[in-house]
Amino acid sequence: MDAPVSTPSLRIALIGVPNCGKTALFNRLTGSRQKVANYPGVTVERREGERAALDGRVLRILDLPGTYSLSPTTLDEAITRDVLLGRVADAPAPELVVCVVDAVHLPIGLRLALEVKRLGLPMVLALNRMDVVARRGVHIDMARLASELGVPVLPTIAVKRGGADALIEAIQPARWEHRRSIAAPAWHDATAEDAEQTQSDLRGLLAAVGYAAPKESHWMARFDAVLLHPVLGLVVLIAVMFVMFQAVFSWAEAPMNWIDGGMAWLGELTAANLPEGPLSSLLVNGIIGGAGAVLVFLPQILILFLFILALEDSCYLPRAAYLLDRMMGGVGLSGRAFIPLLSSFACAIPGIMAARSIPGWRDRLTTIMIAPLMTCSARLPVYALLIGALIPATAVGPFNLQGLVMFSLYVAGIVAALAVAWVMKHFAGVRQYSPLMLELPDYQWPHAGNLLLGLWERVKIFLSRVGGIILALMIVLWFLSTYPAPPDGATGPPIQYSFAGRLGAVLEYIFAPIGFNWQISIALVPGMAAREVAVGALGTVYAMSAAGDDVAGQLEPVIAATWSLATACSLLAWYVFAPQCLSTLAVVKRETNSWRYPIIMAAYLFALAYVASFITYRAVGALA
Amino acid sequence: MSCVSAKCELIAFTSATPKPILQGVNSSDSNARSAHPLAELRRGEAAVVSGLAEVAGFEDGHGSGAVVLARLRDLGFVAGAHCEVIAKMWPVGDPMVVRVGGSTFALRRAEAAAVQVTRLEREPATQTALAPKNTSAALA
Repeated sequence: MDAPVSTPSLRIALIGVPNCGKTALFNRLTGSRQKVANYPGVTVERREGERAALDGRVLRILDLPGTYSLSPTTLDEAITRDVLLGRVADAPAPELVVCVVDAVHLPIGLRLALEVKRLGLPMVLALNRMDVVARRGVHIDMARLASELGVPVLPTIAVKRGGADALIEAIQPARWEHRRSIAAPAWHDATAEDAEQTQSDLRGLLAAVGYAAPKESHWMARFDAVLLHPVLGLVVLIAVMFVMFQAVFSWAEAPMNWIDGGMAWLGELTAANLPEGPLSSLLVNGIIGGAGAVLVFLPQILILFLFILALEDSCYLPRAAYLLDRMMGGVGLSGRAFIPLLSSFACAIPGIMAARSIPGWRDRLTTIMIAPLMTCSARLPVYALLIGALIPATAVGPFNLQGLVMFSLYVAGIVAALAVAWVMKHFAGVRQYSPLMLELPDYQWPHAGNLLLGLWERVKIFLSRVGGIILALMIVLWFLSTYPAPPDGATGPPIQYSFAGRLGAVLEYIFAPIGFNWQISIALVPGMAAREVAVGALGTVYAMSAAGDDVAGQLEPVIAATWSLATACSLLAWYVFAPQCLSTLAVVKRETNSWRYPIIMAAYLFALAYVASFITYRAVGALA
Repeated sequence: MSCVSAKCELIAFTSATPKPILQGVNSSDSNARSAHPLAELRRGEAAVVSGLAEVAGFEDGHGSGAVVLARLRDLGFVAGAHCEVIAKMWPVGDPMVVRVGGSTFALRRAEAAAVQVTRLEREPATQTALAPKNTSAALA
């Protein structure tokens, strides 16, 4: 009833080893009420959420990056330790630590819990996956564990509705208020004696609670026999990747047509109901034509993310990293780099941030530098537009020629990435050994709720990009390509006399050798902010240069009619390499903490792009 | 089953092991005839960890060798832990997959070489096929 006067909320941190179900538990606790630290401007990647405790107060829950130990080997792990110690600027030390331990893999989680407990922060232990461990016939004496450890121990089943009830009951702020620690946690780097002490404590605990390691389940062993096989495993991996990229194109077709049709209908409706003039032009050409052209690609992006999330959730990705470690080692990459590089296919930004899980600065830097060469989802709209316009959809065996061209663009990016990594390996001086030591967690079915939550996050980010930066750029571009109006008696299309037209004419000098016309040159400028904007920009530019009332949705036939194959191929080559995304460069600056690497990255990518486009333009031109 | 055979190993052999470098391991706990690097085990072979030892391969001079050993220890490669090789990559088993303490890890050859282990004889093993069975019967 009466509003609490003192601090009404309790800061809780979830900590646990990777794959213990901590993030699922976090989702269970906070639902969709979470903030995932967004890309630019944040120094620590943090997932934070809120929920109301049973006593009505607010729990502010922080999901710390998973770690095996408080002696970090990666940046992620160092962040976890530093947050617990209150060393991170805007993240005060938690008032309650929830240590999440996977009951199936009790030893490794309990060892971390012992280490955390030594910090002296108030703590509860969430024993997760109690259902699985019971099914495997392992009994854990929780009462004994709680008394031996001296902290409350609560069973949780993070993936089940109601699976966190016992935990929620236990973490009511009122119960913990008096335990608030004032002093910063005691800390010194763990010595060999500390480690030995922890191990002997752990042995004692495990014996006391009657834990015996469960046998690997039969079907999991079967799966591993195939998926970890040196040959079969690689065959499966290649098949999975291929299905993923084919699905992006075949499954997305229908919803894309609906969105496209909807946008065209909206454009016509607007044009029919508004008097001709600047407002109608802005709405139809600028907003619907521009933003709509980007919106069409939402289904493809979602399918790509669906695959990546499902692969991640099923715990297949670390196995792929194992299979590829040896090969990637040949160009100086760790197998661990596979995971950040795969997510770079969705977007380089989370990929670059995921590179934090790579121990060793050199390996991490190499991964960061090549991440933008993985074909991100923002390039999809451009590829899809050009391929749709100029490549016939003929069948090549069981495949579609358009799909194959798309696949080869992805391959081009990968090959270039490996080559750059190889160059860096040979010219980067002394290397620090970067360990693999990667856990291969138990397989599990991807959890529908987690997938939906992950996709919803992507939809929100994409729509806010379309509604924010992309829309703003489209309006600016519409303005630049509309004004000043052509003088009386002008013969060419009006855009040639506008600011954008003049800018395009200047840029054309630079880009003419690689076959770009002035329309493309203009579109590349807003494309710097976000690659997919280039498609919208082309839509606007061509809509503005058309004499009649052609509106959005008509871009493909215009390109097919006016561009040469060499120009289109050259633009495709440009998009494989060009550093067309300022937010990527910004995140590189943040992650490497220096201007040096984003500048090097931009320079080498521009050079690669220009050279590749030049060669492509000349080669295709000579052949055609 | 494997637990039983592990017990037999512990009871059957009580000779001293070579002292590992990193940890003050109680060698009487981890009996063995001889310690091998984990990297030498074949797929499907099981073993008991006897300790961790410095090896070459983490060439850098930044002390990351110690980091690797500390992390191996934190992952559960400690004296007395039972482990089993699940998979080895071609051609030389680099990396390999090892199950320890109920968890599974991919280790590079150089990392696995730092873990000293004692092989466990499996039931269909060469000449001592009968010996462990008899001992376990006696135990029961």
